[in-house]
Amino acid sequence: MMNKLILGRYMPGDSLIHRLDSRAKLVASFYFIGIIFMANNWQTYLLAAVFTLFAILLSKVDLKFFIRGVKPLIWLILFTVALQIMFTRGGEVYWEWGVFSITEFGLTNGVFIFCRFVLIIFMSTLLTLTTPPLELSDAIEYLLRPLKVVRFPVHEVSLMLSIALRFVPTLMDETEKIMNAQRARGVDFGEGSLIQKMKAVVPLLIPLFVSSFNRAEDLATAMEARGYQGGDGRTKYRVLHWHNRDTMVVVAFVLLTIALIFLRS
Amino acid sequence: MDIRFEKVDFTYQPNTPFEQRALFDIDMTIKEGSYTAIVGHTGSGKSTLLQHLNALVKPTKGVVEIGDRKIVPETDNKNLKPIRKKVGIVFQFPEAQLFEETVARDIAFGPKNFGVSEEDARKLAEKMLLQVGLDESYLERSPFELSGGQMRRVAIAGVLAMEPEILVLDEPTAGLDPQGRKEMMEMFLRLHKEEGITIVLVTHLMDDVANYANYVYVLEKGHIVKDGEPKEIFQELSWLKEKQLGVPTATEFAERLVAKGISFNSLPLTADELADQLVMLSGGHANDE
Repeated sequence: MMNKLILGRYMPGDSLIHRLDSRAKLVASFYFIGIIFMANNWQTYLLAAVFTLFAILLSKVDLKFFIRGVKPLIWLILFTVALQIMFTRGGEVYWEWGVFSITEFGLTNGVFIFCRFVLIIFMSTLLTLTTPPLELSDAIEYLLRPLKVVRFPVHEVSLMLSIALRFVPTLMDETEKIMNAQRARGVDFGEGSLIQKMKAVVPLLIPLFVSSFNRAEDLATAMEARGYQGGDGRTKYRVLHWHNRDTMVVVAFVLLTIALIFLRS
Repeated sequence: MDIRFEKVDFTYQPNTPFEQRALFDIDMTIKEGSYTAIVGHTGSGKSTLLQHLNALVKPTKGVVEIGDRKIVPETDNKNLKPIRKKVGIVFQFPEAQLFEETVARDIAFGPKNFGVSEEDARKLAEKMLLQVGLDESYLERSPFELSGGQMRRVAIAGVLAMEPEILVLDEPTAGLDPQGRKEMMEMFLRLHKEEGITIVLVTHLMDDVANYANYVYVLEKGHIVKDGEPKEIFQELSWLKEKQLGVPTATEFAERLVAKGISFNSLPLTADELADQLVMLSGGHANDE
């Protein structure tokens, strides 16, 4: 069931992209989502696509995982593209029926939106496929640090984040186990009417909540027993290092931005 | 009802980079009325094998025959309920599956899913609660206010209430105190003997295997490496130790006596057998129970 989900999964590896600093990768991914909106003609989209494919090539992860990452979202993308095509007016009109029309501008816009979606998903998939979740949470903690000025509880949030990430696989295992146990007691998951389906979730959700609460309590006790008292005075075991290659990423993105500004119409 | 495995393979997440093969070419028969033990190292595929017994997973190759139903890779997920009614599984730490407001309702949940009327399910719940060693006063309590051991009993009662023909137990006594462990195992033996329930036991405790089982499958890295009656399996102690499997306490002790020069006809598996043999060796008569 959960096996099909590629988005948000980490694939161990040792490529250049894998070794990059997680802060660089995180910022770069968000930055990419920002600058993809600067693209507005086929040259700029081509450039962005080549840039993305080059990054994927560097990561040495098979392209088909990225394509699989798009699959769960394909209907949303197609829906948006269809709306774009049907309702954009301008240029040569190919077909018209009431409020619907297919025009030159509509078609190009549709293609652009499609590219934009796919490239954004590719980039974020690249981030999660090549970065272990814990490194990501370290990066988020680092990047949130300036917020301390406005009394934002950075340490607590990052601790919550790393605990949450740590327990995602455990909870998934647990879910699978409880599901199996309830199926063995005659529950049909995902069968029957909508109401039956929702009812079938109760024997799964209640034990999951109960075990999460129990686990949280045990973990809190264990943390206190090991001398945890909050963020003050704590040191960091996992230290992030900024290398030349990370600076290269920044340079690459600056160059990409400049190129996009020149090429856009 | 027999369960037969024929050349069963199972792979997790096939055709992905996370692909992992868990079972290789398993041939196995669980005969009606038998008490079969499945032993093996952690990660040897015992739990995967166990999920095949009531079609929670389907083989990626081969056939699993459960009674007259054949489960093949192409079998769809419909109409498997009759199988699940006949094969009850008590998973590891089954207390995690409790969810109802009262103990009675939780035990009745299984039977009700299989179409038993509210009233009959309720009666079954009462009967099964006694069976697992708790009294009626627990019926209306919330399962979450019970102790760990009591929760375990309620969970097991919930599986027994489905009145399965085959009862599969995945380390049913893990984490219980010695007294509770003994009571549990004795109860399963009673069900096996008195009600003729076929039992499949997955365990790390070789003493339980020696005391209760009448057939053993040894699993290693997804292969069945040995099968036979406990008597045969536990004669080759060095082989078992090499596979990092335990040896029953009585057999271990007998082996030490062998090292000191005492010879046995065959190594005893249980404390009773050991005592009998020692009495015989010292010239007395073993008492026939």
